This record gives sequence, structure tokens and C-alpha cells, in this order.
Amino acid sequence: MSKTDTSAERIPGSYPAGRKKGRWQESLRPYLYLAPAAVFLLLVFAYPFVEIVRTSLQVPSATGTPTFGFENYKFLLGDPVFKKAVVHNLILLLSVPIMTVLALIFALILFDQVRGWKVYRTLIFTPYILAIPVVGTTFIYLYSTNGILNEILRSSGAGFLAQDWLGNPKFVLPSIMSVIIYRELGFGVVLFLARLMSLPLELLEAAKLDGANWYQMHRHVTIPQMRSVIEFFVVVEIMTMLSWVFAYVYTMTGGGPGFSSVIMEFYIWQNAFNFQSPAIASALAVVLLAAVSVLIFFQARLRRRSVDVDDDVR
Amino acid sequence: MDREEGNKGTGNPTSGGGVSRKHFLKLMGAGAGAAAFPGLLAACGGGDQQQSSAPKVKSVKGQLTFWYWGESDAPGANKWMNETVAAYKKKKPDLKINVVPQSTDTLISAFQAAVSAKQGPDIASQWATGPVLTQVWQDAVVPISDYVPKSETSQWLNTTENIYNGKLWAMPMYLIGIAVAYNKDLYKKAGLDPNSPPKTWDEFLAACQKLKKSGTTPFSIGNQDGYGGAWFFSNMELQNLDSLDEWVKAIVDGNKLAGAKYTGWYERLQEMVKKGYFNDSVNSLPLDQGHAIFSKGASAMSLGTDGIVQQWQKDVGKDKVGVMKFPKFGTGKLAESFNATQSISHFICKWSKNKQEAADFLKFMHTPERMKRWYALTNVGVADKRFDASAITDPVLKQMYEWETAGPQVWLENYNPVQVDSQANIPAGQQIFSKSGTPKDASQLWVQVARRWSSQQPAQLKNWKSWTPAEPKGI
Repeated sequence: MSKTDTSAERIPGSYPAGRKKGRWQESLRPYLYLAPAAVFLLLVFAYPFVEIVRTSLQVPSATGTPTFGFENYKFLLGDPVFKKAVVHNLILLLSVPIMTVLALIFALILFDQVRGWKVYRTLIFTPYILAIPVVGTTFIYLYSTNGILNEILRSSGAGFLAQDWLGNPKFVLPSIMSVIIYRELGFGVVLFLARLMSLPLELLEAAKLDGANWYQMHRHVTIPQMRSVIEFFVVVEIMTMLSWVFAYVYTMTGGGPGFSSVIMEFYIWQNAFNFQSPAIASALAVVLLAAVSVLIFFQARLRRRSVDVDDDVR
Repeated sequence: MDREEGNKGTGNPTSGGGVSRKHFLKLMGAGAGAAAFPGLLAACGGGDQQQSSAPKVKSVKGQLTFWYWGESDAPGANKWMNETVAAYKKKKPDLKINVVPQSTDTLISAFQAAVSAKQGPDIASQWATGPVLTQVWQDAVVPISDYVPKSETSQWLNTTENIYNGKLWAMPMYLIGIAVAYNKDLYKKAGLDPNSPPKTWDEFLAACQKLKKSGTTPFSIGNQDGYGGAWFFSNMELQNLDSLDEWVKAIVDGNKLAGAKYTGWYERLQEMVKKGYFNDSVNSLPLDQGHAIFSKGASAMSLGTDGIVQQWQKDVGKDKVGVMKFPKFGTGKLAESFNATQSISHFICKWSKNKQEAADFLKFMHTPERMKRWYALTNVGVADKRFDASAITDPVLKQMYEWETAGPQVWLENYNPVQVDSQANIPAGQQIFSKSGTPKDASQLWVQVARRWSSQQPAQLKNWKSWTPAEPKGI
């Protein structure tokens, strides 16, 4: 430390006037660096958000001049289509555990480097890079009454299982779910496989030496170490099921038959652009955003807790 | 990459226990995406579909932009439009004309985004009546009758579809109607007279029964997208009405729609479904794929417009396809009407800086040479009294054009508010076809949706209340 450096001797909070100014400038500097990004974020996120909330509070009137209030939200509470859309989004959430378990199983199998595992990995990941309308349109043909799936069932003697997969209200949501799982699975497998590849082999070898079988090894050694990536995948997929499935529904069913596959995003789109009802669409968007935000909040809490536990263990 | 390489590359195995930078960024990205969804709604004025088909345009003096739709109804329409622009350029070399073909799925939403932005094309296309008048009521359209002389507009056909407050708001270009097409060979096979198709509902059901007995699917249609059911609505609901005003008033009232007069026809549709007179794939095929069944000769009847009937003639055989009007069961004054419309209408936008130029170009589309060329390229009859109908030589198409131009013509779906059509007409038909709802459910759906529409759209309701639709000629 040089003689001119007095920082070691000073008492905190007792800077001379010049130093105070310098310190103030010093502390301001990072904010100046952050300012362009902050302005950008405000423009991209904050302004539209405020605008959406404002629009959601505009109550249309016969004169064309809106009043302000919560009537749009009240309207949604009594709107049967909105209720159906919420229920359908919740049903779609069921695909998250299915997808997670399947992705985990596939990743663990591939991790064992079964013969041709690289080819399998590519095959599983390929649907994820295909455009959703392409996947959706393909499955319309697969799932139609006289489509490939039913033809296979009929020709294999299982014709009694043949269904109008997209035309029957009972089967339409599970059918859409299967397409979502088919496409999103690849993301989970690649994500989990990448994490598996990064695990220290010593632990696995030690478990093997201790006589652990395949299930025990993964149940007690591998999967616990993958907790963070599994959590990440689950949260991303929950958000997907709530706010990124529009293209599947739009392409495959248009919300039908009847309202049997209407989801929140589709209903937002219908209100905003087909029914010329931006206020209702905005109220729906606020509700959806709130639901997703709550999930992000809980995920963040969960993650913090898991990090704390990890730290305690260490 | 093998496992060894994988471990080498990622370093500390405990790094994954906490929040890595990569994970944090991914989570933030996903969260930001979710948060941005409503933002996109506000900032972009639309989703992916809307964006792709709604290029941002601003009216520029001396430059006409036309958001054009027609190809889906009349294949060849886009080619005709390109030729028309080229021909007009010879007349007005200084005028620049950009034609932007529009997609069916986003025709309304794309224009709605333009209305929200209060800028867009000089000329736009929307389906007649409800969709056009909705834009009129949003103050996005100027009356075409203010820019085109009556001597011209009086030559146009089916203008009643776009008359409001005594003014004509949009120009028709062609006419299409929905006829029931039938396969003469399959009729013969079932012991039916192909030269005497059924005229009444009872005769029609009897024919369906015989066809089914002969091993033929009596009727094919696709309703996965809901349009097949909507076509039945247009043909069947009409039959008990005495006037279009009656229908508009029933929608405004809401409760009236529960009456048998308005939604009782679902019983008849359900009867057909229950008796298995439709193709079993009706719920999983969109309208066009349902038509393909008739093309393959696998069904005896289907509903088709002029262009579709032409295609069937090519696929099945010209002398094997006959057409008939939808069988009659109703007693209303509109029961004899043929289900026909100008379909798409072209209008001048309020924000256009070239209103007169736009009107002149639209007028040019109806010049004799252009009309002749239209028919040559599309084989769809022109909505103009000056059109030389002798150009239609095929007897089946000639018959359809006659139905479309003589006597009353109505396409009732045009008289539904868009929201009511989307949330009542389309789903109610899907309920009946998929057997997931009864006629009573369908009827209740109409009532609920009409009520919901009236409380959600007070401004629209006010306009619909004030509107007395022009009745078709002969009513």
C-alpha cells in the first residue's frame, strides 16, 4: 500500500468533501453504464405492460368513450369461455410431469451410451427445431379419422381404439398434449443429457463399487445432482403450457370442436383481433401474466431454498 | 462427444447445484418472454399471424396500396388483378399500385390492426355486410357511392349487402352461391332419378336413406374448422325467416334466438348426423378436405360454390355432376332464396390520400374488357349487369349464375356479428356434428353468446340496433 493511499486509515463515513464527491461519482458510474439497457428494458417491457394494464381497465361504452373500472375483469369471471380456457391450460399442465419423467428416462438411457445413442439423441431433438405449424399440420393428418394412426390401429386388429382424435371433444386436449410432449421432449432430453455429461464420474463409479444397481445409482446419485436443471425445465415447461401453446391450438383445432380446446392465449388473440375487443384481451393478458409471475416467484423461492440447502450440506 | 469429453468440458461438477449464469439467463429469457406476451399485444398490434399478413403501410399521395383477397373464392383472381394493374398503368402511368394479397385466416385481424393504427392501405377487401359494416362503424371506410357515380353503381349486383344509411360502402366483384351438388352415377346406383333431385326436406332425407342403403356416403362435408356447419346455417336458418331485419333484431335481442324459428333447424341437422348420412371424418377434416371426398366419387352429395363445383366437374366428370338448391323445409319468406353473395367487397379506406384515384381504379375493375378477362381466368360470374352471361357455356354453372342473379339471394352468415359467428355459429355446428351437444345446447349457446356480445360490445350493439338491413330483391 502506498503512502498516498489513505483508505486504510479513514473512518467509514468520514470522507473529506472532495473525496465525497469523487465517491458519489464513483457510485453513480455503474448506473450510467446500466442506463441504456434499463431504458431499453423500460421501453420493451414496462411501457407495453403499463399500456396493457391501462387498456384492461378501459370499459367500452356505447358512445365509444371508455370509462375506467374493473368491469372487464368482472366480465371475465362470468365468462364461460374464459373459465374453459383456464381449465384447459391447467389440463395441459399435466403434460409437464409426463414430459419431465420421459425426458429423464430417455436422457438416462442415452447417458448409458446405448448403441447408436447419438442418432437417437438427434432423432429425439429434431421435433424441437421444427416449426410448430409444421408439426401441428402433420399431426392433423396423423390424427384424422381416416389418418395414419387410425389406419395402423385398424390394420393391426385394434380398430376399436381408433378415434376421431381431434374432432371428438373428449380426446382433443389429450391429443394436443401428446403433440406438445412429442415436440418439447427433445429440449428436456438434451438439457438433461448435457447436465449428466457434466457430472463427476467418480461418484458414479463409487456407487457402482458399492454395488448400486442402475436404478439405485440414478435414484440416489445422479438425479439428486440434476435437481437444478430439472427444476429449470419444469418451470420453463409450465410457462410454456400457460403462455406458449397458441400455435399448437391455432394450427390443429382453432379452439374447437366447440370450445373444447380453447386456451388463454387463443382467447386473447380472438378477443384482440377477431372480436375487436382489446380491453377484454388486455384483461386476459394481465390475468395470464399474473399467473405466470406467481409461478416464477415460487420457482425463485424454491431455487433459493435448494441453494441454501446445498450450501448447508457443503 | 463421449462422456469423458463431456466431463472435461464442463469442469466443476458442483457448479450445477446453484444457479449457473447460463441457467439464470435462460430462466430470465423465458420469464421475459412470458412477460413480453401482453407487451407484444400492445406494441405490435398482433400475433405472428397478424404480423405476417399485415405489412405496415401508410397511404402516400400518388401511390395506391390494395390489400386484396379473392384467390380462395376464385382461383385465378390474383393473376387477374396483376393484369388489371398492368392495364391500368397504361392508362395512368404515374400512379403506382401495390397489390398485397391477403390470407383468409387473417383478413379481418390484419385490417383491424390497420384500423387501430389508423393507417393502412388505400383500398381493402372484407367480406360483405357484417365485416364491411363493422369497419364502416369504426369510421375506417368512406362510402364508395360518394366517389363513383350512380350510373356506375346501379350496374353492380347484390349491392344491398353493403348499404347502410342510404349509402353504398363497398364494391362487389363477383358472385358465388352454395348449391347442393350431387353425383348422378351414385344417384342411379341408389335407384334415384338423377334428373329429378330432391326439392323438399322429406324428399332429401328419403334420398339420403336410399343412398346409404346402396352403400354410399350420402353427404360429405368437412367441419373441423367449423365452416361446414356455418354453410348449413346459411342454408337452413334462412328458411324460417321473413326478412333479414328479423334476424338482425333477433341477434340484438339475444333471447329470441332460443325460439324454434331461429335455431330449431339444428334438430334437422342432428337427425342427419344421427342417421349417419355424413362422412365419418366430418369432424376431423376442414371444409376443403371434406369437398375432396366428393371429388373422389366417395359421396353422393356435398355443398359447393361455383369454383368448387367446377373442380368437381373436372374430377368426377362434367356430365356426372348435377346441382340443386338446398331442399326446402321452411315457411318463411326467405325460404326460396338462394344462398349467394358477392363474398368479398372492396372499399376505400378513410385514411387514404388517394380516395378518388382508388374509386377510379375500382371502377376500372368493372370495365367490359376486365370483366370478360375475369371470367376467362376464374370462371366465376361477375357481379355486374353488364357482364355477358353468354360467356358461361357450361349448363351447371349457367344454372348457378342464374340462381345467383335472379330472385332473392342471401348469405345469412354475413348478417352475424363476427364475435357471434365465431362463438355461436361455428361452435354450435361443431357440437351437433361431433354429437357433443344437443340442438337445445346449440340454441342456448346462441342466446348466451348474443348476450355476451351485447354486454361486451356496447358500441357494436348500438350500431346493430340502428341498422335496418336492405332486403334482397323480391322480398
